[in-house]
Amino acid sequence: MEKVKKIASALMILVFLLSLISSQALAQDEVVCESEVVVQANDWLSKLADKFYGDILAYQAIADATNAKAASDDSYAAIQDVNIIEPGWKLCIPSAEAAGVLIEAAQAKTPTAEQPFAGTELTLATMTDQFLTGFRYLIPKFEEETGITIVLDELGYVDLYQKLTADFVGHTANYDLMTMDIVWSGEYAANRYTLPLDDFMARDEAELQLDDIMPVAWTLGEWEGKHWAYPLAGYANVLNYRKDVLAEAGVEPPKTQQELLALAQQLTDADNDFYGVALLGAKGPAVAQDYMAWVQQHGGAILDADGKPALNSAENVEILEFFGELFKYAPPGATDYWWDQRETAFRTGNVAMMEGWSIARAGYEDSDISSVVGNVDVAKAPVTEGMDPKYGFGGWGIGINADSENSEAAWEFIKWLSTPEIQKEWIRHDGAPIRRSTLEDPELNKEYPWFPILLESFEKGDGDYRPRIPQYSMIQDALGTAVNGYLVGEMSAQDALDQAQAQVEAAMQ
Amino acid sequence: MSISRRFKGKEANYLLLLLPLLIFVFVIAIYPLAFSFFISFFKYRLTDPDQTKTFVGLANYITAFKDPQVITAISNTLVFVAGTVIIEMLFGLALALLLAAETRTMRIVRSFLLMPMAITPLVVGLIWKSLYNADFGVISYYLKQLGVDVGHGPLGEISVAMPAVMLIDIWQWTPLLMVIFLAGLKSLPLEPFDAARVDGASRWQSFWYITLPMLKPALLIGLLMRTVQSFKVFDIIYATTSGGPGSATTVLNYHIFTVGMTFFNMGYAAALANILLVIVAVLSVLYIIVLERQQI
Repeated sequence: MEKVKKIASALMILVFLLSLISSQALAQDEVVCESEVVVQANDWLSKLADKFYGDILAYQAIADATNAKAASDDSYAAIQDVNIIEPGWKLCIPSAEAAGVLIEAAQAKTPTAEQPFAGTELTLATMTDQFLTGFRYLIPKFEEETGITIVLDELGYVDLYQKLTADFVGHTANYDLMTMDIVWSGEYAANRYTLPLDDFMARDEAELQLDDIMPVAWTLGEWEGKHWAYPLAGYANVLNYRKDVLAEAGVEPPKTQQELLALAQQLTDADNDFYGVALLGAKGPAVAQDYMAWVQQHGGAILDADGKPALNSAENVEILEFFGELFKYAPPGATDYWWDQRETAFRTGNVAMMEGWSIARAGYEDSDISSVVGNVDVAKAPVTEGMDPKYGFGGWGIGINADSENSEAAWEFIKWLSTPEIQKEWIRHDGAPIRRSTLEDPELNKEYPWFPILLESFEKGDGDYRPRIPQYSMIQDALGTAVNGYLVGEMSAQDALDQAQAQVEAAMQ
Repeated sequence: MSISRRFKGKEANYLLLLLPLLIFVFVIAIYPLAFSFFISFFKYRLTDPDQTKTFVGLANYITAFKDPQVITAISNTLVFVAGTVIIEMLFGLALALLLAAETRTMRIVRSFLLMPMAITPLVVGLIWKSLYNADFGVISYYLKQLGVDVGHGPLGEISVAMPAVMLIDIWQWTPLLMVIFLAGLKSLPLEPFDAARVDGASRWQSFWYITLPMLKPALLIGLLMRTVQSFKVFDIIYATTSGGPGSATTVLNYHIFTVGMTFFNMGYAAALANILLVIVAVLSVLYIIVLERQQI
């Protein structure tokens, strides 16, 4: 007896819970009238819409709801012409929310021959890098042209990586498109997180002008012969310097690493808070990536000939010591610098030289954010004496989530963004180049006189100095802690790199 | 129908009424906990292309106790907990005694002191990070004016980073202890103090022999609560140093975050989290025992 009761009450609760769920689901497709109105003389639909929603244009929602009701219940009037209603008709007034949905659905764009993806909504996860301005400027134009809507989700470097990985691993497909750092290509490819674009590229080859894209730019998304991201923004590692400071000291910009060190020392005036060089020292990706840039400029390598991590090679230890030497002529806070703080140090005029990504260059001429307008010039990044010049190359690709249901529309955006005409606008709104034609464009060269240096840096660019292997994040984390530990005096260069090597080896097992 | 059966029936009804809540607790707390316990026995890294989710038994736990990074993280955590809790207790008590008087000024001062508690720890971290900044920060600026060599800034120097981070925690959480101790002070009976004064006790003697022993319950609650919270510190570290310089401020919870959310090494991160859970659980049980004793 008790048992029956128990089961009965359990069932009742279950039914109750289910009814909660289903009533919500039903609300989606069945019209619910919040109230009913019998038409009086002198009523018209807009007047009623104004009365119930405060919006005379919402009349269509009443008409649609009433017609939908009339289909199943003939006590409601069927409205053939929204301009004509008769006294005595019974109308269905949906709730304000439902009316909103109905109106939106009526206005929703429908695909047409010219806009085959109209009405599609794409979500783009983007790094909050300078090129964000370019997205903000260009996306509305793309939306107008195609009817596709793009929602931007702007994230910092670490957050972007974590959110994307969570999205991929959980197959939640929150993001259709994502900006993808060059160093993530290996990991994303090996895990099939993003869609290989090769089929799209083969199909649309005629319109893509693939030959025009700088060879090094493909490293932004290529892995083992397939393209897991399309080049979006190519950066070259360049040396920015203060023309005025160097002229005053009567020196030329350094051509070699050794000259860079000597000059940094010469120009440092700690008593007046002026330093020779700005560097990235903050624990984590910042210091790891800057150190790897120095390894590249000294002809060292993070991986050995077999592709195994060789962080603690004698050569790398020496390079780390050189890197530490440079920090003596950097602002004291530099061991805490992330990219933005390094930029601040240079833009506020506290340092004479700074190696960094070429994309920041245009910002030094913007008096809103820079107090060194007109005093900056750029040179090729100095390499160590006797080394055949190679320049660090980095930047961002744009990929399509392998789980996305809108891959065609997403590809449409990638294709549109990479057309030469749009690329010019992209550059003019803080984007970065990927095409030779952009870098050689006479107009752009007039606006951006440093483009020839960029072109040369791209031609001799090395996109693999930070190993783009699937285990990259571990190398970066190990170096991020160890190099920072060395710079703040926690341990010697040898110990630091030994520790990093042990950590990477343990993690890669 | 006997009474006992009737009672049983009622119990079943109670259970039914509790069901929604139980389901909620199960979904939100018990299932994830059991799952984290389960996966801690597996080699399970989400971003590993050849990921197999192999059963490895206790290997993750054994690795944890051999991993130099974990050892550093645990010892950093202990330093952090000991430093913050002791100083917060002392300051909290001192502030409570100082501000116990029921005057208008004291009331205003007290409410101002509560403000740090109302700010999100992450925001607190960001505020202090900019205050500490070696090149642009206010604190560093005044230290330099006083002729102190700030070097890489308070958060950038190996020897100073941990105390600097602890100071943030102390700034934020001392007021909480002050409130707890104030409540304790207000609930003390006045008679023993009157009696002591009649017997000629000095203020120090009446504090040492009357106030402190009678305040013991409040002190214990404050101590245990802050210890448990301090063990779980994350936001402040995340916002200020990211565990740096080097690994000087990497506490256990931050290390777990790195392993889990940067390497997505879920098996190992779960094992580490369970170790932290055991530490905190032991402290929590202690907390409950102490609380129960007081009610008697």
